[in-house]
Amino acid sequence: MEEKHTPSKTPQKRTDKGPNQRLRQRTAIIIIIILVIGFGATILRLSFLTLAQGSELQEKAVSQQLSDTVLTAKRGSIYDAKGTVLAESASVWQVVLAPINFETDEQRQAAAKGLSEILGLDYENVLEKTKQQNYYTVVKRKIEVDQRDKVLELSKKLSEDYDCGNVIQLLDDYKRYYPKDDLASCVIGFTGADEQGLEGVEFKYDDYLSGTPGRIITAKNARGTNMPFQFEQNIESEDGNNVYLTIDEGVQSICEKHMAQAIIDNNVLNRGVCICMDVNTGAVLAMVTANGYNLNDPYSLPAETEQKIKALPEKEQAEEESKSLAAMWRNKCVADTYMPGSVFKMCTASMALEEGKISDSSRFSCGGYMRVEDYDIGCSVTSGHGVQTFLESFCHSCNPAFIQIGQLVGLDKFRDYYTAFGFSEKSGIDLPGEADDSFWPEGQMGMVDLAVASFGQNFNITPLSMITACAAVCNGGYVLQPYVVSKITDSRGNVVKTVEKKVKRQVISNETSKKMCDMLAAYPEVNGASGGYVAGYKTGGKTGTSEKIGVEKVQSSFEKDYISSFCGIAPTDDPQVALLVFLDTPDGGAYYGSQIAAPIFINIMTELLPYLEVKTDYSDEDLAYVNVSMGDYSNMTVEEALTKAETDGFTGIVVGSGNTVVSQIPSVASQVAAGASVVLYTDGTPPEKVKVPSFLGCVSYEANSLAAQYGLNVSFTGAVSSGGVAVAQSIAEGAEVSQGTVVTITFSANTSEGNSD
Amino acid sequence: MAPNKKMILKADINRIYDEKVRSQRGKRERLFSRPTRQRKMKSTKWFATGMGIDLPFCIILLVLLTIGTIMMFSASYAFSYYTQGDSYYYLIRQLIFIAIGIAGMAVMSFFNYNKLHKIAPLILGIAYVCLLIVLVLPAGDGGVKRWIPLGVFNIQPSEIAKFAVILFFSHWASKYYDKMQLPKYSVLPGLAVFGSIALLLFLEPHYSGIVIIAILTVLMLYIGGMQTKYLLIGGIVLIGLVLVLAVTGGLSYAMSRMDGWGQALEYTTEEMWQTTWQTRNSLYAIGSGGLWGLGLGQSRQKYLYLPEPQNDFIFAIVVEELGLIGAIIILLIFALLIWRGITLSLRSKDKFGKLLGIGLTSQIGIQVVLNILVITDWLPNTGISLPFFSYGGSSLIMLLAQMGIILSISRTANIERQ
Repeated sequence: MEEKHTPSKTPQKRTDKGPNQRLRQRTAIIIIIILVIGFGATILRLSFLTLAQGSELQEKAVSQQLSDTVLTAKRGSIYDAKGTVLAESASVWQVVLAPINFETDEQRQAAAKGLSEILGLDYENVLEKTKQQNYYTVVKRKIEVDQRDKVLELSKKLSEDYDCGNVIQLLDDYKRYYPKDDLASCVIGFTGADEQGLEGVEFKYDDYLSGTPGRIITAKNARGTNMPFQFEQNIESEDGNNVYLTIDEGVQSICEKHMAQAIIDNNVLNRGVCICMDVNTGAVLAMVTANGYNLNDPYSLPAETEQKIKALPEKEQAEEESKSLAAMWRNKCVADTYMPGSVFKMCTASMALEEGKISDSSRFSCGGYMRVEDYDIGCSVTSGHGVQTFLESFCHSCNPAFIQIGQLVGLDKFRDYYTAFGFSEKSGIDLPGEADDSFWPEGQMGMVDLAVASFGQNFNITPLSMITACAAVCNGGYVLQPYVVSKITDSRGNVVKTVEKKVKRQVISNETSKKMCDMLAAYPEVNGASGGYVAGYKTGGKTGTSEKIGVEKVQSSFEKDYISSFCGIAPTDDPQVALLVFLDTPDGGAYYGSQIAAPIFINIMTELLPYLEVKTDYSDEDLAYVNVSMGDYSNMTVEEALTKAETDGFTGIVVGSGNTVVSQIPSVASQVAAGASVVLYTDGTPPEKVKVPSFLGCVSYEANSLAAQYGLNVSFTGAVSSGGVAVAQSIAEGAEVSQGTVVTITFSANTSEGNSD
Repeated sequence: MAPNKKMILKADINRIYDEKVRSQRGKRERLFSRPTRQRKMKSTKWFATGMGIDLPFCIILLVLLTIGTIMMFSASYAFSYYTQGDSYYYLIRQLIFIAIGIAGMAVMSFFNYNKLHKIAPLILGIAYVCLLIVLVLPAGDGGVKRWIPLGVFNIQPSEIAKFAVILFFSHWASKYYDKMQLPKYSVLPGLAVFGSIALLLFLEPHYSGIVIIAILTVLMLYIGGMQTKYLLIGGIVLIGLVLVLAVTGGLSYAMSRMDGWGQALEYTTEEMWQTTWQTRNSLYAIGSGGLWGLGLGQSRQKYLYLPEPQNDFIFAIVVEELGLIGAIIILLIFALLIWRGITLSLRSKDKFGKLLGIGLTSQIGIQVVLNILVITDWLPNTGISLPFFSYGGSSLIMLLAQMGIILSISRTANIERQ
């Protein structure tokens, strides 16, 4: 059978091969296929995976095997110069679900129901989260203790009733609190949802404040429980550092109080600025952008702005809202620029003095205007100041005189000093968003430009650089780097960093600075309240009223928009603080710096200098208005009492027929104005009743005489300088009081006289 | 019909074999070679003499089994702990299976494999019955019907089918060796047996079983003497089929159905990401191993990341723990085993023994290659176990029994060296 078929079907050449030989050949081929090709391919593939792709694959494997839990670090606190807390973080909790651990819909619904009720969330929304397939879904952040306790209860209930533990987790979190609400809002700034600093010091010092989050790295099996072998690494979280500001809460609140009042009184349209600086160190004691905002609720706008936005078409609302918020958060002190106006004359004067261009015999004439090239540049007094000395020119704030002074300095020198005063550079303050100045570029500044620049027009600088320059003018000529953070400590209180005063350069000599202090001191003396005169203290300063040029006119009722400013120092014999106030676009009754900015300066200084414990130095005139302590005359004979009252500077009035004083009005140690009368009762005669008149609108001496007329005593507070006007009285008009009763009268340096700039 | 010389020869061998085996009983047990004859041996014929089994093959086999069991324990340790609450659950069972398997292997090594010659069609029939039984039984995990539960352990009919196919074609090709060049005796039975088994496996479904049966059928027919041109024709038909599928778009559909084959590391859909979980974690494990491995017992992927690490994907854990070096050493031992198995089979006195030995040895090689290509994502994820390593009762016992047959073959191969 096989012999029949074999020849026909098998090729002839195969017959010479034995079947065994063919089997051997074919087996060899099989061995080659399996061992060479097959095993070769596996080894090739394994080599590729372990060697070429090994690290990449291992990384992925490790990333799924390691569970990385972040331990939130507590953000550091912010304190003021005296250690008052301005910002701190408190413990809150974050509710996190591990929805993959749910097994039934019943469990999901129970959890969603409980959570939505406790946390006040939408049920459907939470239910959606429970259906996800992961280990980490945030349900709500920053819940407080009471909610946390309820969530813990729910978690316990879920594991008991529905047998699903490990579903709800509570992670430590922190929430930022600002105990002083809007105090120093432009300096402190606020944080975002992840506690990252967004504005101000919170932003600038974020690296210090935020601390280092810790981690727990453990090897986990695919079910998320720890692997039995040792593979755990703990990195403790490190709490953030505490930041101490140079800002003093007391100084800051004094400034804010008066700025807020000034904003209302003068109907200021574009906010105001107030900076108080230690002239010897550059430390900022107060920095106000009025009005501020509540740091605990930084995303809510003032009511009127909200209404304005709501009136807009819906499309523009969101954009307008974010614009308004950005404007509200903007720190006008460093992020905005303005034309300093006549305040800048202190710099121009310093330059001329330093360069020796001014001598005692220097005279400057003013005819009401001055012609520079083709332009007539006017003076505030159109009739002209006539021929003036250097000091008179300064005190008159005479523009033509300062044009001449500027010309004496010369274009190049003027530019050099401008740079040396630090206007052309960033001050380097530790706050975000500092603006650049805008000045004429090299070679493009002409004589007309020099003329207007001499009195601070047509160039823009930040308010901060102006007060830094003012500090340099009075502190011996040292340009300082301003700063708001004095020191940083770690969470255990060890000092991490201390900020020392940093002198950038000396721009004028000590002698020039001394002379400038005298000039600044002369300004209030000459101009009184409109020059920033503060009774009892040696203050100095300069007013400024600058036209807003090159910006869109806001809806002020004046012909132009103005910035009214005052920049001054105290005390002038040993300068300690500089204070700059300005109101951007006032729309009240007046716009001159002397009318509206100087009173703010006086009001702030009147409160600030006693707070800073600057020693008083009353002039004879002032002494009349200084309160003194009432002496004790009881149990004295009438004669003794009268003699003693006279020695104390009081007028004694004896009522009754007794020989000994039994009681007295005003009472012992009460504060009364010098020269008060004291009613001495010698028997039980009831006190005579008198009616209280209105003191409002009186200046101090008028109040004194009015009080004497009615048989009352007065006590002065506020700006009791020659120009101070009574704005409030402690006992209402028409009240019946005993003779000799003390009425406390509050004066405010609100003046309308003298437009000296 | 003319008297078949081959049959006479075979009958003689059987007689000699039986006598030898019988003569040894009652005397000293001679499982292995007789040391007194060593001096006469040529250097290439180390150990194997007389009626003893082939010692090198047996040693290599036991070495592999030892390494495999250690690795199975290491790989299953965590999975066993988490799923069974006992880290030794799989080890203890595997050791029992090994004990049974070794016993089976010893028995089979004394069993005259030529007796299988006659019952080969019967065994093929049993395989068919098993394949049919499994289809009527209720489906197991994942809706597939691959197992016949037998109380203590389960029987996988495809394992029986693989053996049955090797056995049947060894029987067929040795019986009709001279006619194997005729398609009627080679291609036709090949297609008939493969086609019918493939159909039954398709219904389970058990695609990797089909692939292995196909490879084994072709291999057996090829060494059995089938003309090479049919192999080429078959190859061309296969390529043509793939091309047609590729043009009609059926291939990409088929590929997409192959459980995210080759896409284990890329995230496409959540469903696919879950489907490729096992393959991806296998790749992670292999990659983590690097050149030197993390050390024995140090695998991390076995902590539930790689599902059922003691089964088909055990070699991924082996690479993770022993590295590429360890993997290559193990592959070399496998290669040694296969080399020894095939060469000793070739020395068998009869065709049936040669074919059966080569077939059974090749099956190990094929499974090793396919298994590693699956765990490295070069082949779709289908259930192909790694011989001597993967956990499993019936397959291990079956495997060791088959090794016993090879040892039995080695006894006849060693006769001439006496």
